[in-house]
Amino acid sequence: MSEDIHALSGAYAVDALDDVERARFERHLAGCTACQAEVESLVAAASELSVLTEAAPPASLRAKVLAEIATVRPLPPLTAPQHESVDEDVTSSTPPEPVQAPAATGAPATQVEHADDLTERRRSRSTRGLARGWRVVVAAATVAVLAIGGFTVWKQIDKDPSRAIADQVLAAPDATRYGQRLAGGATATVVRSNSLHKAVIVTSGMSQPPSGKVFQLWLQDATGHMTSAGLMPGGGDQVVVLSGDASHSKGAGITVEPDGGSDQPTSDPVAFIAFA
Amino acid sequence: MDPMSRFSVVPSGDESPGGPARPVTLEQLLRRAATGDETAFAELYDAVSSRLFGLVRRVVRDPAQSEEVTQEVFLEIWRHSARFDPSKGAALSWMLTIAHRKAVDRVRSAEAARHRDEGYGASNQDVTHDSTAEAVVERLDAERVHRALETLTPVQRQALELAYLSGYTHTEVATMLDLPLGTAKTRIRDGLIRLRDTLGVTL
Repeated sequence: MSEDIHALSGAYAVDALDDVERARFERHLAGCTACQAEVESLVAAASELSVLTEAAPPASLRAKVLAEIATVRPLPPLTAPQHESVDEDVTSSTPPEPVQAPAATGAPATQVEHADDLTERRRSRSTRGLARGWRVVVAAATVAVLAIGGFTVWKQIDKDPSRAIADQVLAAPDATRYGQRLAGGATATVVRSNSLHKAVIVTSGMSQPPSGKVFQLWLQDATGHMTSAGLMPGGGDQVVVLSGDASHSKGAGITVEPDGGSDQPTSDPVAFIAFA
Repeated sequence: MDPMSRFSVVPSGDESPGGPARPVTLEQLLRRAATGDETAFAELYDAVSSRLFGLVRRVVRDPAQSEEVTQEVFLEIWRHSARFDPSKGAALSWMLTIAHRKAVDRVRSAEAARHRDEGYGASNQDVTHDSTAEAVVERLDAERVHRALETLTPVQRQALELAYLSGYTHTEVATMLDLPLGTAKTRIRDGLIRLRDTLGVTL
């Protein structure tokens, strides 16, 4: 499989992967220095093509941009031991790579950025980027950071069973995808492997849940009963393993629930993905 | 400002440090922007807006949306300016990557799809070349890239252009070019490697 995934470097460098492929590739990339070097060089090569499409923007754009940035504070640089993140404990069992911005782009930053990012994320419907994190709902995830092509990929190093499960499901020969577009341009794709009895949800461009609320995942059985499959972080792009055996489920849903989650859905789903 | 340094994507071994009036580099402008220097950012905008907007518009096509996306891109650059790492690539390449990703995100979102392909004319319709030395340099850069593209096989070139300049996924590219499933990604990669090697792109 690694031969195959290595071949995605070119498509990754030009943003030609779909969300699930990108999630898989970034997981691979985090641990493959050969791919990191190749991606950096291919990104630079692709950038050269933009000389063919030069076009001056309308003059009015300059004033709009300058007025807007005047109201926004640049993010501070990230410095090596970076423990600000609420969700991840940024430590590394490998020699620490120079830590760099998560995110050169929109939301990618989700995993380490804080309140000041919310405004932008809410404003920007398509919040995602090259660098993405797996803010997997799992305790004690160990995370290392790699900077790639000016971007950062977050790497959860072993010890995170959910990461290993997600990788296996995404790469399983019997992995089947069920996708849905959500309001506002976000997408949610469930990848299920019946042989592994597990399902993984890959989201892109999700907003944040309202204050005091969380996104909760559900698996629906043949009778229509919904069983909680865990909580899912909002914002940007996520890869989350649904808890429970998904092999006989008929669908998966996402609802907005009060902090801590609920035993049963208390609101209409923001997304329901039928496994059919 | 020296147009060569403004438009060189490749961090240059060949910029002549001894040249007259060493120009301010994009990297330096970004570093100043990171400290909240709006004047530096305005200079950065002037240096790269045609490159970023042109790429965004090529992918997004709709002029109003292209403008919106470009504005988001510049805000993103401003906010993350302190986090650009010059050891990982050139500043222009970093900014173009942000622009490309946002453009692709936009066209892949459902509501944008409706408007795509409307109201789009020739890809170079409003390139505002003036007759300065800068325009000459741009033209030479473009010729160099055109020549490099000619070293690709036709399929590699088409696959790369559909992916990068039109924002299609490799799976969509395979369908459009009638390629066996899974081979478009290889064509894109092979094409990029050829392009990189022909242009002598180094990091």
